[in-house]
Amino acid sequence: MNYQLEMLLTDQPAVLERVLQTTRYRGFRVDSMQMQPASKQMKVSMLVSGKHPISMLTSQLNKLYDLASLECQAQLVQSGEQQSTQAQPLPKTA
Amino acid sequence: MKGAQAILEFLTEQGVDKVFGYPGGAIMPLYDALLDSPVQHYLCRHEQGAAFAAIGYARSTNRVGVCIATSGPGATNLLTSLADAKLDSVPLVMITGQVARPAMGSDAFQEVDVLGLSLSICKHSMQVMTAEDLVPCLQKAFHIAQEGRPGPVLVDIPKDILTGLVPATPQAVSDYQMPEYSMQDLQAANQLIASSERPVLYIGGGVGMANAVDELRDLIQRTDLPQVCTLKGLGSAESEHPLYLGMLGMHGLAAANLSVQQCDLLIAIGARLDDRVTGKLDEFAPHAKLIHLDIDPAEIHKRRRADVSLLGDLKTILPLLGTDTVNPSWREWVSDLKVSKAFPYAVDNSPGQIDAPQLLRQLSDMSANDAIVSCDVGQHQMWVAQHMRFSQPSCHLSSGGLGTMGFGLPAAIGAQVANPDTQVVAVCGDGSFMMNVQELGTLRRYQMPVKILILDNQRLGMVKQWQELFHEERYSETDLSDNPEFSRLAAAFDIQSDVIQCRSQVGEALRKMLAYPGPYLLHVQLDHKDNVWPIVPPNTANHQMWEQPK
Repeated sequence: MNYQLEMLLTDQPAVLERVLQTTRYRGFRVDSMQMQPASKQMKVSMLVSGKHPISMLTSQLNKLYDLASLECQAQLVQSGEQQSTQAQPLPKTA
Repeated sequence: MKGAQAILEFLTEQGVDKVFGYPGGAIMPLYDALLDSPVQHYLCRHEQGAAFAAIGYARSTNRVGVCIATSGPGATNLLTSLADAKLDSVPLVMITGQVARPAMGSDAFQEVDVLGLSLSICKHSMQVMTAEDLVPCLQKAFHIAQEGRPGPVLVDIPKDILTGLVPATPQAVSDYQMPEYSMQDLQAANQLIASSERPVLYIGGGVGMANAVDELRDLIQRTDLPQVCTLKGLGSAESEHPLYLGMLGMHGLAAANLSVQQCDLLIAIGARLDDRVTGKLDEFAPHAKLIHLDIDPAEIHKRRRADVSLLGDLKTILPLLGTDTVNPSWREWVSDLKVSKAFPYAVDNSPGQIDAPQLLRQLSDMSANDAIVSCDVGQHQMWVAQHMRFSQPSCHLSSGGLGTMGFGLPAAIGAQVANPDTQVVAVCGDGSFMMNVQELGTLRRYQMPVKILILDNQRLGMVKQWQELFHEERYSETDLSDNPEFSRLAAAFDIQSDVIQCRSQVGEALRKMLAYPGPYLLHVQLDHKDNVWPIVPPNTANHQMWEQPK
């Protein structure tokens, strides 16, 4: 499954590393990521995919002290479908 | 006031009068300020030892343990202990020196990115980058270490902040919000308990950490619920209770595992259903509904979906739990099982090889009721958990989640510092003891009366046991028969010692050790063929445990 995470983070050293490390360790892959400064905070939007229930990740992200808020939405695209698309052989060139 | 002085003043305000550590380049200004501070510093002989001592201090008191190290190797040497404290939820504050700010990022001498290294193995970590942030960071560290589910916090401080002036700062306020259960969930839990026919309490380390031992014991007295404990939960329930079944899990006692496998309701209290407890997860307590009580929302549904969860402070929740006493036929079934599966303890003075379980039971009977037992990791650790009894969870110090060899001796030192008048015994394996053997120097320096019991089978026992049972007796690198002579090692540190190898010597040797006023080492030579029983083989359900061959 794919999930869109919208986070508001306190602008502290290593805060992005914490989010990325937690995401990897809890079994999710970052498919895209955007960040934007907002006063003393930063907004981070992240598309992640993984096989575990997303609560495995969100419950751990919620424990990060530099995370002010977190919203999560499931995306309709299945990661399996994406992978099968990517796994198709490249068209041969003449 | 200089940064180094501000740190010590802050620690004093927090009531911290004892810290553990090891000096070095970047942290030298703090050690200089220590000379003029009431804070007492205990010099260990390795940063890992200092941090384990701080863990022993914290676990035996439920207070924050503090340890200090320098940058680079000092900081990296702390990391194993940091991870240990994270997995066992120990309130700890680690202070590391860092190279001065202008040198940071230049691969300076003894510079490592300790903030980066710490991220996945602590509850939180901070690097102080301005003088104004120093005291607020420390305040935050102490709040975070203790609030909710406790854990370790690392604060990395550049040397020029230690030597520079820092402003006085107002007291920061914690914004922690205790997670709250709903009255609906509480009612649902009590209904499940009332309607269950075969309930079991599954008690974890959270009970001790929430200071909820009295509330748990009151619940047991009101309801007569049968009880099993995790490694960290040992000491929470009264071991003399007829329905107390001991530890469950991979090396759990047969009655504990079989009762959990038969139960129709499992009430997990401050426990996290970890893999060493559950065995094959989808066959764990297969008939049971689960009520899960915890302070950490991330533990709920993590390993198994709870039918009802109660989030919050166990001390508040436990008095509201449970209604009637338990179905008498289930009580009878459990207590009969407990009797039929009981270990045959007997003091045996006949000549012959020493039996570690019997020795540990004898030690448990002979030591003080409030004695603190610290142990290393391996076969001896499981024998301690199976056969010794503890009056409180803070009396049993064991590296549970991380399973760190070398934990026992330094943790015992920390516990003795915190409890100078209490009997402290470190039960060590011969492999584990050698991992932090340098801390004998700490014992000698402070003449602390820690008793060390080395259960020596000249093997890396638990790995050897797995090689024997699951690797077709292919013994790879587990023979430690070239161990040093432990008595001579003790003598090199002016520590009294004794060595025994037969059953008839056990009683007298234990008496002598416990009565000795100073540090003491008792070297117990065991047969390397002894194994820990029962054992649940990997990826197997807990009722399919292998018991001791006849």
